[in-house]
Amino acid sequence: MHDNVIDRSKDLTILELLDRVLNKGVILTGDIVISVADVDLIYLGVKLMLSSVETMEQLKSGQAIIKK
Amino acid sequence: MINDLIYVYCISNSPPELSKNALFAGLQHIPFHGLNVVIRLVSESEFSEENLKKNLTDLAWLDSYAREHIRIISLLMEDCTVIPFNFGTIYNSQDSLLRFLEDYYDSLIEKIEYISGKEEWGIKMYFNRTMLIEQIDELSMEAADLEKQIMASSPGKAFLLRRKKSELIESEMNRLTKSYGQDYFNQLKKISEATMLNNLLPKELTGRDDTMILNASFLLYKDKASDFTATLNFLREKCVGFGFDIEFTGPWPPFSFISIKEKV
Repeated sequence: MHDNVIDRSKDLTILELLDRVLNKGVILTGDIVISVADVDLIYLGVKLMLSSVETMEQLKSGQAIIKK
Repeated sequence: MINDLIYVYCISNSPPELSKNALFAGLQHIPFHGLNVVIRLVSESEFSEENLKKNLTDLAWLDSYAREHIRIISLLMEDCTVIPFNFGTIYNSQDSLLRFLEDYYDSLIEKIEYISGKEEWGIKMYFNRTMLIEQIDELSMEAADLEKQIMASSPGKAFLLRRKKSELIESEMNRLTKSYGQDYFNQLKKISEATMLNNLLPKELTGRDDTMILNASFLLYKDKASDFTATLNFLREKCVGFGFDIEFTGPWPPFSFISIKEKV
C-alpha cells in the first residue's frame, strides 16, 4: 500500500488543496455553492498572502528593499 | 447556536463506519436507495451564503476547512467508493437534498460504478528557463550546429550568428517544453483510465521560480498506482538534469472526474 494523501496532508500546500476541492466546479448543485467568482477571489487572497509571506521573509533576512 | 444547514462531504456506495475515526465525530449519513450521503449539520453563522462568502476570504479558516474536507473524504475512500463534493456545498434542508438525490439518482449510480476501484493523481510539471538554456546545445541539434558555426566564424559574423541563436533558443525551448510535456502526459495516460487538463497556475500562486507547463489529473485503477508512481519517478529522473521538475500528489478522491450533468 502506498501512502494516502491524508498521511501527508499536513505537507500539502493550500494551493494543492484548493486546486482539488474548489477548482473543478463540476458538482454545481446545492442551495449554496462556491461560485467561479468566489474562487477567483479566494485565489486573489492566496496570491496576496503568498506575496506578503515573501515580503516577510525578505524582511527577516534583511533583504527588503523598498521598491515604491 | 442552531446547526440546521446540511454540509455535504461525499456520497458513498456503502454505509460508512462513522465510529471508526475520531475525525468523523459529528458526521451523519443519510441513506438513499443504496447511496449514502455523508453530511454534517453546520450553522448559519459560518455557512449561510453571506457568511460563507465572508469566511472564504479568511485563509486560515479556509485552509483548515479545506484540509478537513479532504481528510474526511480520503479516509472514507479507504473503505468505500466515494463521489467527492466540492468544498462548501450546502443544502438548506433535508427535503432539498433528497430532491437532488432523486433528480440525479441515475447519474450518481453511473458515477459510482465508473469510479469504483479507481483513484485520482495530480501532476504538475515545471521548467526552469535558465537551466534549459544552459543545456540547449545538448538538447537541440540545430542549436549545437549553430554553436559550431559561431565558433568557426570571424567576430563580426559570430556576433550576427549569436543574435540568430538567441531567437533559435526561444523557439527550441518552446518546442522542447511542448514535446516533453506532451510525451510525459502520453506515457502517464497509457496507465490511466481518464485524464483531465487543468489550468496552468501563475508563478505568484505556485511560489516557484520555474514555469508551470502541465497541470493534469489522472484517474487510474488503484492497483496501477505503483506503476504510475514508478513511471513518474523514472520520467522525473530523466528530465530533472536539464531543468524540468515534476510534482505529484495522490491518491485523491476523484474530484476531477465527477461531472454531474444538469438534468434536461
